[in-house]
Amino acid sequence: MYFARHTNNYALLINKDLVINQILFRLMVLVMLFGSPVTHAVDVITNISADTASITTTQLRRIYSMRQVKWANGVPITIFVLSSTNTTHQKFCKETLRLFPYQLDRIWNKLTFSGMGVAPTIVSSEKELIKAVKSTTGAIGYIENIDEVSDVNLLKIDE
Amino acid sequence: MLTCLKLMNKLNCKLLCWLGLITFNSLAQDNHSAEPFKIHGFVAQGVIDVDGSNFVNNDGEISLELTEIGLNTSYKFADDFRFAAQAVYLNGGNRYNEGLRVDYFLMDWNAYSSEKWQANLFVGRIKNTHWLHSSTRDIPFARPSIILPQVVYFDGFRDIAVGGDGAALKLTYNNDKYGEFDFNFSRSKSSINSRDAEVILSKLAQGNIEHNLDSQASVYWRPVFSQWKFGLTLLDSEFNYDGETLDFFVDGNFVFQFYTFNAVYEGEKWGFTSELLQTRFLTEGFYTPQFNQDNLGQGGSFQTTYKVNQKLTLIGRYEKFYSDKGDKNGYRLEERNFGMVPNYFGFQNDTMIGLSYNFADNVRVNAEYHWMAGAARLNPIVLPNPTVNNKEKWNMWAVQLMYWF
Repeated sequence: MYFARHTNNYALLINKDLVINQILFRLMVLVMLFGSPVTHAVDVITNISADTASITTTQLRRIYSMRQVKWANGVPITIFVLSSTNTTHQKFCKETLRLFPYQLDRIWNKLTFSGMGVAPTIVSSEKELIKAVKSTTGAIGYIENIDEVSDVNLLKIDE
Repeated sequence: MLTCLKLMNKLNCKLLCWLGLITFNSLAQDNHSAEPFKIHGFVAQGVIDVDGSNFVNNDGEISLELTEIGLNTSYKFADDFRFAAQAVYLNGGNRYNEGLRVDYFLMDWNAYSSEKWQANLFVGRIKNTHWLHSSTRDIPFARPSIILPQVVYFDGFRDIAVGGDGAALKLTYNNDKYGEFDFNFSRSKSSINSRDAEVILSKLAQGNIEHNLDSQASVYWRPVFSQWKFGLTLLDSEFNYDGETLDFFVDGNFVFQFYTFNAVYEGEKWGFTSELLQTRFLTEGFYTPQFNQDNLGQGGSFQTTYKVNQKLTLIGRYEKFYSDKGDKNGYRLEERNFGMVPNYFGFQNDTMIGLSYNFADNVRVNAEYHWMAGAARLNPIVLPNPTVNNKEKWNMWAVQLMYWF
């Protein structure tokens, strides 16, 4: 009897916790829907020839560290970047690639000065980068101000 | 008169390099497009002062023999084929020969490419990409310090170790669960001219030294999203010395094997690098027809860097090396040579602190101070020079300004 009463109380407590958790979860969903969206601060764009709608973070790391040089459809990848001190480049490295800009510099310098590869092409502004991605087959780049772009693929980044 | 002509030749060589670099720099400014033709280069000039050894010069004076100029090109002439070449001018005093050399001149064939795998074959004069800094040892802005750890990157072997004529295979594999893997294999040989031989063997060597085709392999692994990277490298090489009739040395054979393990941590502020090595150095003949010596040397370096901000980085490193693990303090070496070669020629340790400061995206100054003990990594390696290197402990500082494009 004693055991049964205590078990019922315990069950009530668990139910209360569940209700609170459900309320908290719904609140969180509301915040996520109507609050600041959890998206990548920097967007990735490609030339239309790349023929891809989404990309994973690991695949992006592979491309930017020159470990994948062709798209799935066989088109060679051409990479455009901003200088390593540019804030968009730094954001892209840290938040999207989860790499520090100096790590990419090391990889690119090693390839360039050992003859084992070619480093990405550095452009001076986001406008120039968009123009280069639009006009170069297989090109990939990143931008912060997405409103200004058309005629390129905007990639969805999957974790 | 002869000295004057030599000096003029040196100046002309430097001047030509500078002119070439300025011309190509202006060409490279227009090179920020996805054109298949690329040009890159660098120039660095420093001041170095060594007190107590012949590492750079024999008189111990402050020296400007710290010049590095390089120019490279890459031309992609088909989707899977590319040509690449690099020439460098180096002046490091006694560390290696002063002058121009072709570092690499190769054809790159991207034989296979998928999302996970890549295979490249390089043929021609290839650069050694096996060790952590072997491919960037002369690239001032791409190496951690002006003087690299001599335990692995011994400057006396620079022209032999930097690469050679042959072929290399590079395989990369990416796994979403286990991380990134690199497999490298190469076979090549370096041509050693009389001036290179003089640096390694001393002026007394009148004969020819030949490098046989060597084999090198390396494996690197970076776990998924990790700041760590680990590597293992192997080298097996052989050299033959063909003595002259009137020569201080006789015919000989050298076998040099070199194994390293390395670990790298790349954090936002802190960086850590370590390379551990074991070398086998077998000498048959050379000193006398019956001479036979088989030494196992060991060593390692531990380096830490701290990024104070985007411009300033501090560096500290300790390295230790002994050429015979059965004689770490060199006493047996001294005994074998009847006291003519002091024990400190059996080891070399270095404690270093330094900094690098970026004035702009492509302008940097590096500065460092070394506290050295021992003389096992001083040229000429096969004939120690205790007359000049008469101190166990010696010091060195260097400052180098560099620009690249």
